[in-house]
Amino acid sequence: MPPTETLRAGSSSGGERGGGTAGGVGGVSEQTYIIRQSNKCYEHRDSQATAMSVDYSGQWVLLAGRGHLALQRLGQDDGTLRRHERQSKYDVSVAEFAICPSRREYCAIATSQNIDIVRWGPAEPYYENSLRGHTRTVTDIDWHGKNPNLLVSCSIDTFSHIWDLRDPRKPALSLNAVCMSGATQVGFNRVSGNLLAAAHDGDLRIWDIRKGSCPTHYITAHLNRVHGINWSHMRETCLATASQDGTVKYFDVCNPRRAEKIITTLSPVWRARYTPIGNGLVSIVVPHLGRGENSLLLWSNSKQTDPICSFVGHTDVILDFAWRPNRENFNEIELVTWSRDRTLRVWKIDEQMLKLCEPSADEDEESESTPRYEPELSELRALTPPEFLHTLHPRPMAAASLPIVATLDAAGAAGGNALPMARSPSFGGVYTRREETHIARSLTDQPTCSLHHEFSLLNTNMPNVDVDMLDAIKRYACFKICAADHTVILQVTFPTSYPSPNVPPDFQLCQGTTLSSDVSAVLLKVLRSNALQRVKKSRSCLEQCLRALVAAMKKRVTAVSGVGVGADRSQLLLQSPRLEGALSSALHDACIPFPRTSGVHFNAIGMLTTFAQVLNTKRLTLRQHQAITPRTLSAINSSGLLGNAMATTQRDANASFYLQERMIAGKPGKQRVMRQMNGTTPVVHVYDASQLLHINREMAREFTLDKRNIADTCRRNGEICRAHGRLDLLPIWLLAELIATPPATGQQLGMNCPMLFHKDPFKKSLLESLIMHYAGAGDVQTAVLLACLFDKCPAAPSDLKDVPSCRLPSQLHAQLSPYHTVLPLDFKSSTQSRTAAGNLQQLKQLRSNSWSDSLNCLMTFGQTDAYACSLIKRTRMPLFDQFKRVYADILFGWQLLSKRALVLKHTLHAPPPSQGVEFVTECSGCAKPKRTPKCEPCKRPVLFCTLCCLPVRGAANACLSCGHGGHMQHMMQWFEKHSVCAAGCGCRCLQRTSELLALIS
Amino acid sequence: MVSLLQEIDTEHEDMVHHAALDFYGLLLATCSSDGSVRIFHSRKNNKSLAELKGHQGPVWQVAWAHPKFGNILASCSYDRKVIIWKSTTPRDWTKLYEYNNHDSSVNSVDFAPPEYGLILACASSDGSISVVTCNTEYWAWDAKKIPNAHTIGVNAISWCPAQTPDPAFDQRVTSRTTLVKRLVSGGCDNLIKIWREDNDRWTEEHRLEAHSDWVRDVAWAPSIGLPRLQIASASQDRHVIIWSSNTDLSQWTSCILHTFDDAVWSISWSTTGNVLAVTGGDNNVSLWKENSEGQWIRINYESGTAIQSKQSHNLHPQQPQQPAHLHGSSDSDHSSNLSNSHLSNSQLSN
Repeated sequence: MPPTETLRAGSSSGGERGGGTAGGVGGVSEQTYIIRQSNKCYEHRDSQATAMSVDYSGQWVLLAGRGHLALQRLGQDDGTLRRHERQSKYDVSVAEFAICPSRREYCAIATSQNIDIVRWGPAEPYYENSLRGHTRTVTDIDWHGKNPNLLVSCSIDTFSHIWDLRDPRKPALSLNAVCMSGATQVGFNRVSGNLLAAAHDGDLRIWDIRKGSCPTHYITAHLNRVHGINWSHMRETCLATASQDGTVKYFDVCNPRRAEKIITTLSPVWRARYTPIGNGLVSIVVPHLGRGENSLLLWSNSKQTDPICSFVGHTDVILDFAWRPNRENFNEIELVTWSRDRTLRVWKIDEQMLKLCEPSADEDEESESTPRYEPELSELRALTPPEFLHTLHPRPMAAASLPIVATLDAAGAAGGNALPMARSPSFGGVYTRREETHIARSLTDQPTCSLHHEFSLLNTNMPNVDVDMLDAIKRYACFKICAADHTVILQVTFPTSYPSPNVPPDFQLCQGTTLSSDVSAVLLKVLRSNALQRVKKSRSCLEQCLRALVAAMKKRVTAVSGVGVGADRSQLLLQSPRLEGALSSALHDACIPFPRTSGVHFNAIGMLTTFAQVLNTKRLTLRQHQAITPRTLSAINSSGLLGNAMATTQRDANASFYLQERMIAGKPGKQRVMRQMNGTTPVVHVYDASQLLHINREMAREFTLDKRNIADTCRRNGEICRAHGRLDLLPIWLLAELIATPPATGQQLGMNCPMLFHKDPFKKSLLESLIMHYAGAGDVQTAVLLACLFDKCPAAPSDLKDVPSCRLPSQLHAQLSPYHTVLPLDFKSSTQSRTAAGNLQQLKQLRSNSWSDSLNCLMTFGQTDAYACSLIKRTRMPLFDQFKRVYADILFGWQLLSKRALVLKHTLHAPPPSQGVEFVTECSGCAKPKRTPKCEPCKRPVLFCTLCCLPVRGAANACLSCGHGGHMQHMMQWFEKHSVCAAGCGCRCLQRTSELLALIS
Repeated sequence: MVSLLQEIDTEHEDMVHHAALDFYGLLLATCSSDGSVRIFHSRKNNKSLAELKGHQGPVWQVAWAHPKFGNILASCSYDRKVIIWKSTTPRDWTKLYEYNNHDSSVNSVDFAPPEYGLILACASSDGSISVVTCNTEYWAWDAKKIPNAHTIGVNAISWCPAQTPDPAFDQRVTSRTTLVKRLVSGGCDNLIKIWREDNDRWTEEHRLEAHSDWVRDVAWAPSIGLPRLQIASASQDRHVIIWSSNTDLSQWTSCILHTFDDAVWSISWSTTGNVLAVTGGDNNVSLWKENSEGQWIRINYESGTAIQSKQSHNLHPQQPQQPAHLHGSSDSDHSSNLSNSHLSNSQLSN
């Protein structure tokens, strides 16, 4: 049974067994793990160094602080420092020596937003470059393991920049993690160097620097902030993370869903790094509340339950550690640590320890079985809320779920220890002794990283708020807030345990506040409730509280003085849930694209609108390191003005949204000033690009579609083209004229050959390819004109006269009712089938289809002939109709409505408007619904008028209720005088129909 | 080939982000960072006819509805709102509807083809797309949302032109089947996604991946009925890509139109779908046309003989028109023009 299983069984079975279990585990672990004192210790009482790094050779240790840089030589025991003063207001957040031997004397030192590249000469440091690109505090730096010129830096501004020292002016690559939390840690892959991990709160983003546009993986690694990232030296895809939530996790980026292994401690883990040789990992655990042990532990990568070794000696928080390679003996390495107790210690990691890290035979077995209880661990993780880390109040629920704590409590109770400590159960005995010496601790002993972090995140340009003092060491901050004609001096004190939940900061209104005491009390209440709300969610509260205070002040004071609060209300509405969660409103803009300074737009009739404005970058101070326009709105660094405009203050109507300086309202001639500041006047140009699209309104107006003499029409259209300078179209219209000209009868073989001019296969194909060419080239106008002109053209009168078979009496032409111009579909399909068949056969076919006398047949013939004469292939008609509709839309835009109607007349397949009620008549013979006035198979009309009892062929109407109806004219006449149905069914047709129509709509 | 009709001084107090002419080309709407939308007469450089105030942040884009619904304009803003305006006369505008169901800046709006009715699609930085439908009989509004359309945010949206029913089938049958609505969107995940409406739900039909940075604009080309569909996309990675497909939209092929000097963020198709206008961070406007071999050729003002000399200087909107800043930017403008003409010539000689 694995130890964890034992623990679990022990704790769940009851408290009285707890001691025994702990003893059992302790017995195992005490035998296995070693306690080491440091081999060397250098004390630097006056050093205020906050960052430490060991160089490539292992000879030098760099201690960097606010006031100085110092080098300590490790080989010599005199302990003297080479100190070099530096002038800076800010602490050094991180310092790193280059890893590659070719740059061994280089180091990168990050202070505030800048990174200095320092080369250590024989006597003193030379500042080689300053890398500027970040807009907030740089939090971490890592050198590339293979390429000596590359280093990566990450910052609170959420960006990770990769710098190439050969071109230090701008980052070689910017990785933009669009998220609300800044990057806190970053690390290059040690094996390939292509991957890079960056930590944003509890999440990891894995980037591939060959594809820098977006992360390759997202890993939701921890519940709380990640303090350390370290890639494995051996396996390319493995990395270890250390987090505030008290765990060290091993991840394989190929399988980012869950951690491979987890080391659980009960205190935040500050760093975790793989040993450069061997199979180990060293972690720094930061005790909570400054009590407990500053433990530096060596773990085996194959055993997460107990450490291999504990390095003791530091009396205060260990700030950082580094590996000191031994260039002579590769099997030995040393660990260099720098602590806030101002001592630098060196610990030897010998072969024996490294051997212990190697997986032994039975540990191998255990590591194989690890996945078996890993789900349990993840379950534990889920059950461990952040407040659990606050060990003064262990929750019973959490304790029950976490066996380690159960045993701890039991052990604590058994030993009569009043202080349940945050520590691993296995070295309880060792540490009880130590902690007593550290019970009394000063406030400053608490690691101030999170408060530092919050202060660095604080937007110091908040409207109405002046930041007087931010002191993370003494843990207080002072603000001066001026709003609504009142001033408030606010002092905020942060308790030592502040970043943990349920511990809001203290607020005090100090001397200088101009508010009455009752208003002050209300404001303080607002502050406290806001702060409590935020810390409960483990969020930073300072900025939110200040904003809330300003809002409350305005509201309160205006309410008291009776001034309207309308302006404020609109501002409050603007505060989104997203913004509340945002640490800084500038971050919010990181996902909004950079505003367009230029634009184009085509409208429906080929008019083009364009505008372009030059951004005055001098005024705008873009965070511009690329040559190209930035992609996000947050690139406009107007001191957070943009964000504030959305958050609390109302934007001055006269101030440019993107300018740093605000303009004074009501200033005369403000517009002129504005323009100078903006660079260009916002001018919009309107172009007529219709010629580019080969469409021309004037030409469209003049073109004719006269079908009487197509050849002549073509000639005239050609003239119109010439008049408008479209000389390129002249040959086309000439060609069209040729197509339209019937061939001379003498050249033809038969008598009825002139009828066949439309059947000329060459002309058909030519015309089709012409139309398709122009449509494809975008010249819809020409394509549609050609299509209309040769579509559905009635046989020329001369042709008709010449045809002997068509003895169409002239008076019949006059009788063509408008109804018949719309042909039933059946006819179209039947005509389609005629291709090579002779005219006579075609006539016969038509006759056989006809439903009435021969007169009707002839009428039909005359009409179908119009389609038959078309040079357009039937299969192409729907497509050409679509062209016509598009062109008709353009004509509509040009407001040439009659031209549009003319073009639309040439469409066969006008899509029926499918709206409203439609009558469907049913044939009384076959009882099938018919849409035509007659039933084809039964050869009978389908609708008879109820009034005159004659078949209805034209406009008809019927009652929706009883279904009786007939000729429109008759129905109108009938219902002028009557209200009941003409069929005598008693239906009140008008009333019922209107009721039904109302129901339908 | 392209003649300047009018130059309109918008007198906006801040940057203009979009300008659009209405269907007839009579009215011009502009929107600006000063939070207002202005309406102008497109042929007269008068003062603005109307100033529409209702947004509290920069207004990113405006869109005109088809005139069959009346004079309707939609605007979207950084303040997360979409406002639909209606006018009775060009000077009289009222707020018809306000849609505020987005959690972040609304970056793009587009009206659907009029065949579908009055429908507006909105793209927001909160990652979602909204499709707002109006029942024009009662003027009742209804919205549907596509959540998580693009991670980080949606930057642009465009409607597919109304697909005509396949004419091979019987007209009466197909006219009854409802037209399939499609949308294309581009976002911060460098993807272009095609959405189709199935039974009142929007589903992702395709995702097109070729850009290596944020997609800033997408535009579905209007169709004149030819059996092919085209989408243009512009991206921060300085590429404009033309995506083409046959009518069944099963396969999309991409073709890089050109690599520009700066990020490209605004593209627009001509009505006939054969000319594409492009502009980006370098503030140059270029027009592109596909020749008969299927190559895209820049038809710029400098290169062609078709240009009318008296307008040539006006065709560069970025050229300074005020002496106040001649010194500041003229040099860079000249060089960019030169490089442009150079570029277009080389393009043409290809």
